[in-house]
Amino acid sequence: MHGAHVVLFWLSLFAYGAEAGLQLGGIAPRSPFRSALFGGLLLHALFLGVRWALAGHAPMAGLFESLTVFSFCTALSAFLVCRDPGAMSAWKPLSVLVLLPQAAAALLDKRLTPLYPALDTPWFATHVGFSFLGYGLFAAGLALAWVSMSGGNEAAYRAAARAALYGFSAFSAGMVCGGIWAYYAWGSYWIWTPKEIWSVLLWVYFAALTHLKFIPPEKGWPGWTRTLEMGATAAGYFVMLATFLGVSLLLRSSHSF
Amino acid sequence: MTGLWRLLTSLKTCAWTSLAFALAGAAGSIVMGRYPEIFSDMDAQIFAGWLAGKGLGSPGPSLWLYVLLLATGLLAVNAVCCTVERLVQIFRGKATLRRLLPHVMHIAFLGVVCAHLASSVWGDRVAGVAVPEGAFAPVGATGLVLRLDRLDFSMAPEGYPKDFAAAVTLFRDTAPVARGIVRANEPLFHEGYGVYLKNFGPTPWGSPYAVFDANRDPGAAWVLVFAALFTAANALYLMPARRIDA
Repeated sequence: MHGAHVVLFWLSLFAYGAEAGLQLGGIAPRSPFRSALFGGLLLHALFLGVRWALAGHAPMAGLFESLTVFSFCTALSAFLVCRDPGAMSAWKPLSVLVLLPQAAAALLDKRLTPLYPALDTPWFATHVGFSFLGYGLFAAGLALAWVSMSGGNEAAYRAAARAALYGFSAFSAGMVCGGIWAYYAWGSYWIWTPKEIWSVLLWVYFAALTHLKFIPPEKGWPGWTRTLEMGATAAGYFVMLATFLGVSLLLRSSHSF
Repeated sequence: MTGLWRLLTSLKTCAWTSLAFALAGAAGSIVMGRYPEIFSDMDAQIFAGWLAGKGLGSPGPSLWLYVLLLATGLLAVNAVCCTVERLVQIFRGKATLRRLLPHVMHIAFLGVVCAHLASSVWGDRVAGVAVPEGAFAPVGATGLVLRLDRLDFSMAPEGYPKDFAAAVTLFRDTAPVARGIVRANEPLFHEGYGVYLKNFGPTPWGSPYAVFDANRDPGAAWVLVFAALFTAANALYLMPARRIDA
């Protein structure tokens, strides 16, 4: 069973690959729920559920599990904010954003991570789960902003703004849960590490982003236009990547993998 | 005066200040690693104490932190001014109560900042209270004395701790005032202090020892209250009917 559950991972990767291939080949599904992405999402959910039961803790520890949960949440975001016919044009870039972390995870060690005592709390799953849900929605924001900027698609613009707002909300909830967990586990809800600083940085970035649409456009630099808002939404994905992967892999932090 | 008020209530002030915050934070995350002699013990004491010592003593490497603090203060003032302006509009009947939710989030943000400030100034950190099993150790200058009654731990074959629990008693003036088990995610709270198990192992003479931290965060409960308020207002704000024109 320990090894067999990984088959579900490979099947979901195959489904995500099929969706990305079809999308890049110009073949879009008739509806969100009759797509390879939906099949992959179901298989992926099953994989994560089985792995959770086997490991005894939420499968969100270590680089492999983090990447695969990130991929899962990115796929989930397609169904949360990109279901409208107008916004479904973002599935082409989004299917690639789903595939990439899952493909990267495929290259890593997939053995179950042990149940470290600090992970044995519901705050671990809620903190990481909400944070990754936010990350997934930020990925949808990039895909939708890309579509909005390249074609002036109104539905994609509205969906991108929704993705940023929902992502910010999920990430905020993740930060609250993380603060509670840190208070009980390490003695303080705030620790001065690069990861914490980047987490607050990401939160402030998207908090400001959700305000941009209320600034009236004006002449001169930077103009405060929709293009600026969408550009910032797209750039937010890379701020998120720096927080999630950059800090963990490049800087010394207590959150490192 | 009108110009200053316009500046403080402006969304553009919010955007530019947030950008400054982000750039300062990004720079700080790199600088911290370059100067471990300055930044590595930031969490071993309260922030105000660290800032008064090493923070102000090393203005160059700490410049990012000054910008971060300044930006945080300006964002808090910006949020307050924006909310005051909206409250005045509501009072004059120019805006509906439905548009108040983002301002509840502003107030919650301000509450978190103020509560964190309180912890940073009036909190306390007692790091590295090492005590062998059956022995006593003073908990910093708190007047409390900690006794490690018993330490139980089991290690996995791979070398990581599978479980650990320390039975401890806190004394004040030789009288026991609190007793409990400290383990992962379960500190012992007494007189505003949380006692956390940080490390453990065998002493050279064989008996086990444990290392504890004792932290006091007077603002922590308020941080939680305002964070919960923010989350609740945020969840309500996500309902589309409430978001229109907010």
